[in-house]
Amino acid sequence: MILMPEVLTILILNAIFALFAIIAFVLSIKIFLKWDLSSTSKSQYKLEKQSFLTATIIKYIFVIKVPLFLFFIFTLDKISTVLTGAMCAAGVVDATQYGTYLLILKIINIYMFAFWLVLHSVDMKYENQPFTKTKFGLFILAFFPFIIELIIEVVMFSAIDVSKMVSCCGTLYSSSSTSYISNIFSIETPLLLSMFYGNFFLIVLFYFFKNRYLYAVANIFFVIISLISLIVFFGTYIYELPTHHCPFCFLQKDYFYVGYIIYIFLFIGTFRALIVGFVELYPKDKDKNYKISMLFNFLYVILVSAYPAIYYIKNGVWL
Amino acid sequence: MINLKNVTKSYEINKNNKVTALDNINLNIKEGELVVLKGASGSGKSTILSLIAALSKPTSGEVMVDEKQISKLPDNFASIYRRDNIGFIFQKYNLIPTLSVKENILLPLVPLNPDEEDVKEKLDAVMQRFNISHKEDAIVRNLSGGEQQRVAIARANVNNPKIIIADEPTANLDEKLSIHFVEILRELKASNKTIVVATHDPIFFDLDFVDREIKVHNGKIL
Repeated sequence: MILMPEVLTILILNAIFALFAIIAFVLSIKIFLKWDLSSTSKSQYKLEKQSFLTATIIKYIFVIKVPLFLFFIFTLDKISTVLTGAMCAAGVVDATQYGTYLLILKIINIYMFAFWLVLHSVDMKYENQPFTKTKFGLFILAFFPFIIELIIEVVMFSAIDVSKMVSCCGTLYSSSSTSYISNIFSIETPLLLSMFYGNFFLIVLFYFFKNRYLYAVANIFFVIISLISLIVFFGTYIYELPTHHCPFCFLQKDYFYVGYIIYIFLFIGTFRALIVGFVELYPKDKDKNYKISMLFNFLYVILVSAYPAIYYIKNGVWL
Repeated sequence: MINLKNVTKSYEINKNNKVTALDNINLNIKEGELVVLKGASGSGKSTILSLIAALSKPTSGEVMVDEKQISKLPDNFASIYRRDNIGFIFQKYNLIPTLSVKENILLPLVPLNPDEEDVKEKLDAVMQRFNISHKEDAIVRNLSGGEQQRVAIARANVNNPKIIIADEPTANLDEKLSIHFVEILRELKASNKTIVVATHDPIFFDLDFVDREIKVHNGKIL
């Protein structure tokens, strides 16, 4: 196991999270099965007290867990400095067979945890707490990927062998690679850009028509297309290298940590759209989420588009 | 207005030590009514008040105020309910001793963020009504017991609440001041407030303006 201070921090936090999550899980099952707000029985009053306690436990786990994703990426980047061959977090992700699965699981979980937090905050705004059963049901579902994530994380850090040579991102994210990721390079750039800007156009359209479901669905596709276009096209302009497609290197100091801004914009923009689509909100809150989502999606598009535009203005050619 | 239905409240100190403060009680108080809850210490009077004020929740049963089930309110909504509906008068006044009379009275208005003119209007009205205007800037800890009680009453009324709750309001007052408090209560009753007083002070018994006296004993209404 690689025991850097950052890894130890993550491991200690994982142990604390696991302990509290198990307590919250047991209580959540009880609340989910027995919750009946109309009842004035002793057991219901007890459940109401327990639901407040349990929701507070879950809230604090997730409030730390969501931003901890950035710290996880930062840690991978830090580990890359001691792994032979690794240039950035991509090499660390590929250093063990667990890295890619962990990353995918973390991305899914981060949306799920953030969704839970919003659901909880909306639930607390209503006197009759209409989402109580839903939010504890969601936690029961989220508990399993949450625990699996913690386990894989520990296993991954344990499996990293500093004496072993790993691949660099230039190899992993290239069209000549034999990995599954190389499939995305078979998409033609004009088609990919049409899909990217076309999808954004649909988001704008659904925003003005205020069609919440289509708006949310368009945003789900936007996450996927954005990540692919970032790797295949936009990333190369950030690096100003036509062969460099890594989605991690621009998180480093050399690129002014712009990757964090890019991913935060994309996450907030698309996540708020999911809230609009799938949570029944007060009209005022819905409007606020629409606006935040649109703003961050717009900022994302402007930011990633600025790199090729500036490159073209400076050099008069495309990569 | 206020309706307690099959309310039980017990406090579990530990597994072998459980105190039943209220035992399946039913109580109905109409709007504008002045009710005196009388009984010995530990009989459950204060527990009834804390349930009506949503300061605590029953172990079982319903507490309804204006057809609203306040015993089921989440904490943040219970605070709003208290802010908008309840005026408290406590035995020990519960004033902030380092603040002035004016500042203490204005405390319930702080969360409402009212405009200055409105604040001044309410403050002047309430200080005049309870005869405490001349002490406006005095620090509360320097006031006499009777004056502190008047500040507490002014604070309880500054929001113009529908319900006034008084828990042993004369316990720290001498006889003269207690009589004065009774007069204030008469005036509050005349302004159509619903008032619930928990006391074992005989000064409140057999008053002509009290609508009902209810005896509470060992967690039961007799």
